[in-house]
Amino acid sequence: MLRRKRWLFAMLAILPTLAIFAWVRMYPIAETLRLSLHKWDILSKNKPFIGLGNFQELMGDRLFHEALLNTTIIAFGVLIITIPTAMILAAMIHYRTRSRASGFYETAIFLPHVVSLVPAAMAWKWIFDARLGPLNAFLGMFGIEPQAWLFDPTLSVISVIVLCSWQALGYAVLIYLVGFKSLPVSLYEAAKLDGASGPQSFWFLSIPMLKPITLYVSVVTLVSGFNVYAQAFVLASDAQGAPGRQVRVLVLDMLENSFRNYRVGYAASEAVVLLVIVLVLTLIQFSLLRERGRS
Amino acid sequence: MTISTLRRRTSSAALRHALLGSAMGLAVIAAAPAISAQEISVWSGYPELAPFYEHVAEGMKADYPDLSVKVEAIALREHEKRIALGLTSGEAAEVIELGTSTATRYLENELFNAAPEAVAAFVQDPANFNDFFRDSASYGGTVYGVPLFRGQSALYYNTEMFEAAGLTEPPATMADYTKYAEALTQRDANGNPSVSGWSLRLSGGGQGIAEKFWINMFQYGESLVEQTADGKWKADFANAEGRAALKQYLENVHTLKTVTVEMPADAEAFEREQTAMFIRESWVIGDIASKAPDLPYATATLPRGSIVAPVSLWISGEGAEAEAAWAFAEAANSPENLLWLLDNVGWLPNRSGLDYSAILQAKPALAAFVEYPDTYEFFSLPNIGPVEEILTRTAARLTDAFANASLAADDAAIDGVLMAMQDEINALLQREGLLAQ
Repeated sequence: MLRRKRWLFAMLAILPTLAIFAWVRMYPIAETLRLSLHKWDILSKNKPFIGLGNFQELMGDRLFHEALLNTTIIAFGVLIITIPTAMILAAMIHYRTRSRASGFYETAIFLPHVVSLVPAAMAWKWIFDARLGPLNAFLGMFGIEPQAWLFDPTLSVISVIVLCSWQALGYAVLIYLVGFKSLPVSLYEAAKLDGASGPQSFWFLSIPMLKPITLYVSVVTLVSGFNVYAQAFVLASDAQGAPGRQVRVLVLDMLENSFRNYRVGYAASEAVVLLVIVLVLTLIQFSLLRERGRS
Repeated sequence: MTISTLRRRTSSAALRHALLGSAMGLAVIAAAPAISAQEISVWSGYPELAPFYEHVAEGMKADYPDLSVKVEAIALREHEKRIALGLTSGEAAEVIELGTSTATRYLENELFNAAPEAVAAFVQDPANFNDFFRDSASYGGTVYGVPLFRGQSALYYNTEMFEAAGLTEPPATMADYTKYAEALTQRDANGNPSVSGWSLRLSGGGQGIAEKFWINMFQYGESLVEQTADGKWKADFANAEGRAALKQYLENVHTLKTVTVEMPADAEAFEREQTAMFIRESWVIGDIASKAPDLPYATATLPRGSIVAPVSLWISGEGAEAEAAWAFAEAANSPENLLWLLDNVGWLPNRSGLDYSAILQAKPALAAFVEYPDTYEFFSLPNIGPVEEILTRTAARLTDAFANASLAADDAAIDGVLMAMQDEINALLQREGLLAQ
């Protein structure tokens, strides 16, 4: 009886949270799934059911393919840059700086994560500017020709990766710092007694022990990488004239299909594909890192 | 009754009075706007038009002392998004400014109000609007909007740069455009262009790239989409004219290098004397007047004709707000306000019978927009559902083509690009049941 009462109390206590979660998380996902099977222009009252028609069309849509490819490259590019860089920076801050300046380094690295995205992207737009940008001026010192960072099909994708990595780095470093602080000091002392060098301790102790942190950071980074939109939009936008090359990413393509082309059902099917990709990749990451963690 | 009891009673009575007074005060404040003021919102997709709508609202003060007009003018693409969301959720402004080609979808779904009798009569009066503009604000023969202004293109050129290059007249043919661009391009010591001869729209997102390409292709006698006798549509530009239009872009970018994709472009570049000529709508005149008043420039008509993109004011909502919104739309169309619009902002009014002489005298650059040859032709974006998708997808193909240097000297490859563009547009038309046989 007591157990049942406790269970009832627990359920009642958790119910408001579950209700909010269902309303703001589960309902939109369910609605997106439903819409993806319909043809709807956002304005009409009619939403004819078309089965998998939207998904069929996606298979032959070159803009969707381009968006998918760009988004995948950006997401994995950001992941590949962010994880090792964040781990090394966190290690340097944790082990190398015993001074009060460590707080400054943490803040300096975390700052890009909290800076508003649009002004930050505008600043990067200036940095990447082909004619007046400091990046080309810097490269010019080494005799490298000025590059059209925001206009070249390949360089424009790289520019988005750099901007996204710059933003993601602060959060990743912060999480890694928490991880480093929780590592047992005795292990490092034992390793030191056994003659292990700093880099060896980092490689053989820190990296394996930080796997849960790496799992979390990589999932968060990859998911946010697949949701990239504003960075690509701002780097390519301008009041008039010569903005940058529009790097087509999935979210941008979805927005364009929803509100420019009035094809909400079609955009919903893109959202479903994105959801599936992110879910599969997250599961793969979980299984890979957990497997290795166990071994 | 002791003094302390009296004090307690007095203070509790005072508290009650204070609370009652505060509650009544709050009630009066809350009720005040509903009683004394009426507010309507105006949504515009052109930030430079905000002063115009504020000017209209100011002029209405005498007849509508309690009317408050909130003007929200933002970038066009964001404006279109908020309309899609606002109208469907019932949270849109009462007065909405929108081009006809986009408004058609909303009219099909009855999301704009039909005009009251008096407004409909005003729009249908041939003395006020010609058939084209009347139809641009109507659907199925019923008037739904009030035509306001139009986008129409002309050539802007820097007269000092023309003089320095020995050019005395604006280009008259499309071949001239390339010749002039070559002569006008200024280069640095390495031969790279530092001032473009002819600024072309080569990059960015959205449909602007396709629209500008359409304007240029129109000069060669071809259109991106054309209506057939059966009222349906088709794309049929993969031919010599289409090739000439695309090849001109590629030649200028890759062969002659009169312009590069990363160079500053459009009105901003023209105002900073970073380009010698470019094609744009009349609003640039107002923009130059405010940002570069000393710029030596002139305008000219295009070789064959121009795009005309009519924009109207549409009304949503109901009751007193809707009535006030119609009054606002009518007030915006008064000759005084329309001349103010042309003079101060630069957009061309759609209303007939306006006397532009005083403004033309002060701003001769406007002549290319209102005084054109009898043979001058016009085209407008089709009022069909997939028009935005057609332009957006075409823009994506054009961006790729402009970046491909190998196309410049390969006519067969250019034809391949045009054919792919054409097929894609026709497939979209077919999907929507609009493709002509």
